[in-house]
Amino acid sequence: MYALPVILLGRLHRYAIDARRKNRTWHYFAWSAVAALIATILFALGTAVVALFVYVKLWWLAGLVAGVLVLPIVGPTLVRHLLVPLGAYRLAYYLGWASRPGKDPTAYGLVAAAWALTTRPTGTGEVWVTRKRDVRIPLGDAEVITTALLAAARGDLATARLLMRSVLMMVEDHPMVRELAGEWVACDAVERGAWSELADDATCARWPATPLTYFLEGVAARRLGAPNAPSARELWARWLLAPKRRITAELREAAIPPPPTRSSASEAQGSEPIDAAPPEHAPLPRAIAAHLAFSSGSASELSLGTTVRAWDAALSDGATHSWLARRALELDAPLGAVDRALREVAAIVTAELARIADAAQLGSPASHGPIGDALGRRLRHGRLDSLEAGFTRWQQRRHDGEHHAAIDEWREFIALQSAYLAAVSAGGTDLRRLAFPHAYSTGTSMAAWLWNARSEYALSHAISKWLLDEALAVGDAEAIELGHRNVGLYVPTRNDK
Amino acid sequence: MLEDNPFFVLGLPTDTSRIELEREAQKLLGMLELGFVEAKTYQTPLGPRSRTPELVRAAVAALRDPYRRLIAELWARHAPPAAPVEATAGAPEPSHNGLRRALGWGV
Repeated sequence: MYALPVILLGRLHRYAIDARRKNRTWHYFAWSAVAALIATILFALGTAVVALFVYVKLWWLAGLVAGVLVLPIVGPTLVRHLLVPLGAYRLAYYLGWASRPGKDPTAYGLVAAAWALTTRPTGTGEVWVTRKRDVRIPLGDAEVITTALLAAARGDLATARLLMRSVLMMVEDHPMVRELAGEWVACDAVERGAWSELADDATCARWPATPLTYFLEGVAARRLGAPNAPSARELWARWLLAPKRRITAELREAAIPPPPTRSSASEAQGSEPIDAAPPEHAPLPRAIAAHLAFSSGSASELSLGTTVRAWDAALSDGATHSWLARRALELDAPLGAVDRALREVAAIVTAELARIADAAQLGSPASHGPIGDALGRRLRHGRLDSLEAGFTRWQQRRHDGEHHAAIDEWREFIALQSAYLAAVSAGGTDLRRLAFPHAYSTGTSMAAWLWNARSEYALSHAISKWLLDEALAVGDAEAIELGHRNVGLYVPTRNDK
Repeated sequence: MLEDNPFFVLGLPTDTSRIELEREAQKLLGMLELGFVEAKTYQTPLGPRSRTPELVRAAVAALRDPYRRLIAELWARHAPPAAPVEATAGAPEPSHNGLRRALGWGV
């Protein structure tokens, strides 16, 4: 009878938190207020009951009531503000579990423990958390996020980023865990100054937003002058709602007043360091100037395209040929020196541009000439070869009977997927059509094996889903049909329990 | 290509005669032997680079070959001059290094 209102309030509190996660409008503030109000009532009720039991010396009952009524309310706050800064990973694990955020409390406990390790990493702690992670079969989003946080604790931020983002492909969804992943991704983006990345995540609502994420997303939107950027007043409200206000005040100040909105044209000019040579220059000096600017500045699709076009124009230019022919005569160079010189310059330039383009994962520019054609061939073949080798190696592990942990299979897959996406985004539709059959045959075989032999349902589903998306992109009818059948299978997750 | 272009290593224009090239190379080798500071670096469009006796010998050897000289001339003659380092305009973007840690997310 007396428990009924408490249960109802608890449910309402959970509902308010869930509703807040789905919103990025004024509803966010409203649900935050509702959740805070209910939390305060529940906390007051809980502490009053605990105090009553302590008063009548029923200690065991006081402890029980504290565990049932108070911990779920204060647990996440204690984890964030006390246990994580202290690096108390064991306590974070158990308190996270005890706060029961959803149907699978261990997931939150595991991530809380890994989070605590990021502030004070220790070898013992990593082994402890890894053991806790490995006993959870099959692999789900919490295990991947835990692995990402462990990688971050070791200082391997690139792996952490890749793993965090890979979670978005998984069908298992623990909102409490995902919002922590979203917060890590947002903080990491701010540290790197990747405002566009953060604003894009916010627009697509990829992660449920914690108050800190919500504030950082607002800062990103204002800095970029996005049309959906919050007003100064709203940003203040977001800042007030978020933790660590002393630290984030600087970000708020930098975003208010907003920097002038940059038009796409001016942005393109700003990021265009290439046209270093005055327009009156002949094609060859322009090409060399563009090449220098490209190789010494930040490589982009735009600057690569400009450089390749400049070289194609220079090496096909009659003035360049005439100058070479005249100098070859004057220097008494051997017969055929002009053609040989042009070929040598083209080879040197192509090799250097390919090296930079490969490192920056840039696509082959649409320029036809001695440099454009050679560069396109070189980038396409090199990328295709390395992709095929990667997928073959992945499949070979299974045939060799090597047993890898599910998380290692996942890491292998996302590394290959990342290489595939980088290659196809750089190589265009042609390369995608060439690369897909190999990725499809290997991926389908691995997905079936992971589902049937390893019971790794979420992992297998994620691979099948990705293959289906790719099949749709290249228009492979057979793969689309099989993909729909595979993706349509029911995927058991821990949230179903 | 540009960084170790023989004309830049010797610090001479592309229309220099072969005799002048040889003379300049001998002079530079002597200066390097005696440890002259001004001989220890040379200017390129990519910025200053350090000059060694090996580089000087390789440069003068390359320019004795008409074909290799043709290639070296093609790059050196058409390359832009070394640009002075310009101060960046406006206030620098504040760095957010360490922000992730300050916000409670790690090392």
